[in-house]
Amino acid sequence: MKRDYPDNSKIGGGVKAECSSMSSGKMKMWEEELDGSGAMDELLAALGYKVRSSDMADVAQKLEKLEMVMATSQEEGISHLASDTVHYDPTDLHGWVQSMLTELDGSPNCLDPSALLANQQIGDNILPSAGSSVVSTGNFSNSQQQIGNLSTVYHDDSEYDLRAIPGKAVFPQSKTTDSENSPKRLKASPSTESVPSPATVPEQARPVVLVDSQENGVRLVHALMACAEAVQQNNLKLAEALVEHVGRLAASQAGAMRKVASCFAQALAHRIYGISQPSIDSALSDMLYMHFYESCPYLKFAHFTANQAILEAFATADRVHVIDFGLKQGMQWPALMQALALRPGGPPTFRLTGIGPPQPDNTDALQQVGWKLAQLAKTIGVQFEFRGFVCNSLVDLEPSLIEIRPGEAVAVNSVFELHELLARPGAIDKVLNTIKAVNPKIVTVVEQEANHNEALFLDRFTEALHYYSTMFDSLEGSSSSSGLSPAARQDVLMSELYLRRQICNVVACKGLERVERHETLSQWRGRMGSAGFEPVHLGSNAFKQASMLLAVFAGGDGYRVEENKGCLLLGWHTRPLIATSAWKFPAGEL
Amino acid sequence: MVHHHESSEEAEKDPQEPSKRPKFSINDDVDILREILKRLDGPSLGVASCVCRLWCSLTRNDDSLWEHLCFRHVSSPPPPSVRPVVVALGGYKRLYMVCVRPVLSRLGDSDRVRKRVWTRHAVQLSLSLFCIDSYERRLSGDASASSLMFLCNPINV
Repeated sequence: MKRDYPDNSKIGGGVKAECSSMSSGKMKMWEEELDGSGAMDELLAALGYKVRSSDMADVAQKLEKLEMVMATSQEEGISHLASDTVHYDPTDLHGWVQSMLTELDGSPNCLDPSALLANQQIGDNILPSAGSSVVSTGNFSNSQQQIGNLSTVYHDDSEYDLRAIPGKAVFPQSKTTDSENSPKRLKASPSTESVPSPATVPEQARPVVLVDSQENGVRLVHALMACAEAVQQNNLKLAEALVEHVGRLAASQAGAMRKVASCFAQALAHRIYGISQPSIDSALSDMLYMHFYESCPYLKFAHFTANQAILEAFATADRVHVIDFGLKQGMQWPALMQALALRPGGPPTFRLTGIGPPQPDNTDALQQVGWKLAQLAKTIGVQFEFRGFVCNSLVDLEPSLIEIRPGEAVAVNSVFELHELLARPGAIDKVLNTIKAVNPKIVTVVEQEANHNEALFLDRFTEALHYYSTMFDSLEGSSSSSGLSPAARQDVLMSELYLRRQICNVVACKGLERVERHETLSQWRGRMGSAGFEPVHLGSNAFKQASMLLAVFAGGDGYRVEENKGCLLLGWHTRPLIATSAWKFPAGEL
Repeated sequence: MVHHHESSEEAEKDPQEPSKRPKFSINDDVDILREILKRLDGPSLGVASCVCRLWCSLTRNDDSLWEHLCFRHVSSPPPPSVRPVVVALGGYKRLYMVCVRPVLSRLGDSDRVRKRVWTRHAVQLSLSLFCIDSYERRLSGDASASSLMFLCNPINV
């Protein structure tokens, strides 16, 4: 972390700290040289302030007090602090705060907005949780220019940190629309932020309301973004401070916003501290999947629309073979079997090849699912055959292993399975070639409609934040509108855990571990198109069924089905969240 | 109907006055009773099952009553292949209770679909959901299927 100290010899150079720990365990992360001049607090030293560890509690208390005093004296003004250049070395935090306090306890002088701005920035800077890392703390009078400039850059961070001081929560500020307060609220769009000379006071003045959860919500988002940016710049100390800040802000929120924020904060913390997400066995992940299936319509939509496409492709076939890339509990297939059973002309013989991951206890989960499906098929009068393939990744699937009998129509079905292949180079191409090799009549692909595979971490983070906020909103929407039974509430909780794991993977994991590499429908279209697949339009039947499914779904008022060039998308309000598409390989059709 | 039954029951309890006894009791002819019950709607069938043991056993055990109820509003009658499938998956009464009734009431309420006549899509949807319900019961060993809880738990007659 670099600090700029313009021409002030008072401010010590270098970051020296002892690596002895404070109460928080994070001190272990950073080991720096011992400073002979006494035990300095490391974090603050990193920010450029020398504070003795023994003084920390005292300093914190004084800072709170200072905060309160500065806030109350807003209207009266503390400009004298700005103009008075004879200040003590701010890196000597203890002494500086003390001096400020003694001065402020006296009567403050008249108001000077730009000075207030300067003071505000300084006030921000001395706080341990301050976000701004590159701020001049030296000469106040000639630093106003710099601060004025800096305010345009760091308007995002500074004011949140102030708000986060716990003492303030109990200490409400009066609402004022004075322009004097506007320097504090420099958060708005950058276009209003051009303050080239500190003398011009920004015209817009926003009311200062302390405990306003809507504002806190916006601040929360900004804080999350700032933290992600810090992570991207590898500014881990700043990121750490911000992550804690996010945690505090998140606690003030309610409902979906709090859950999303805490998920993302946790994921960011995992990334910052290098904690890897614990892997869960497939039984647990199947269980989470089932709860997600039950609590919201996304998976049902996926199954119904894919089944409709397969049904239409199999309209005239006597023998059909479906290859399911992720069998899990086989929830998609009963409905297809029932539709085949009721097809005019009678059901075809139905073969299902299910692919799944190895089980930790070596039980054959695939066979058990196959057995249950076989029982169902028998009761409804459909001839059924099942084959299970266990493999770690779809890449391991060889076309020769899949037995294709002559005269059977083949369908390949993939629900949320293809994006994992993007983690390894060449994997997706191999799998697409495998698909081509089995000569399918139809390939149904369901994927999340989001781009969580950007190269830049910040872009991924932003996308994921929007996507999962919408997801959680939809869960919230469907759970609040109906009186929930305990089982339904458990469904919602487990679904949130299911989504939380995805968030953690997108944000905290890197390289091969990051498997949730979602891409948008247009990206998949490009990929499938360049591999030689042609799109198959999902007909109006699929659309009507999907619409009806959503109309029937309790709490489903916010869900929307859209059609986009033959593909169907399900979203919450205006944001599409999952997309179903169907493909065929024309070279195989002869 | 209930009134009629009461009067005939009353008359049966009073054999000492044969002149008052009507010539016909609805409970004597189960087929006619069945034909009448077939034409009732869901809630009325539920009420009917509470009238007496005969009516109760009819409504519980005779699935054809519920079959008529399920497909009453369909514009064209379902193909004959439907029956064995539905019976195998749990019967028409369960189909009505678990799928048809909630779907109908939800579709009736929703702004998007106000039709009184069932389209084949609604029939297909109900049957698919019913099949999933049956499968889930197998998976969880006959515990109540939770994937259809989004339709709201129906009352059991």
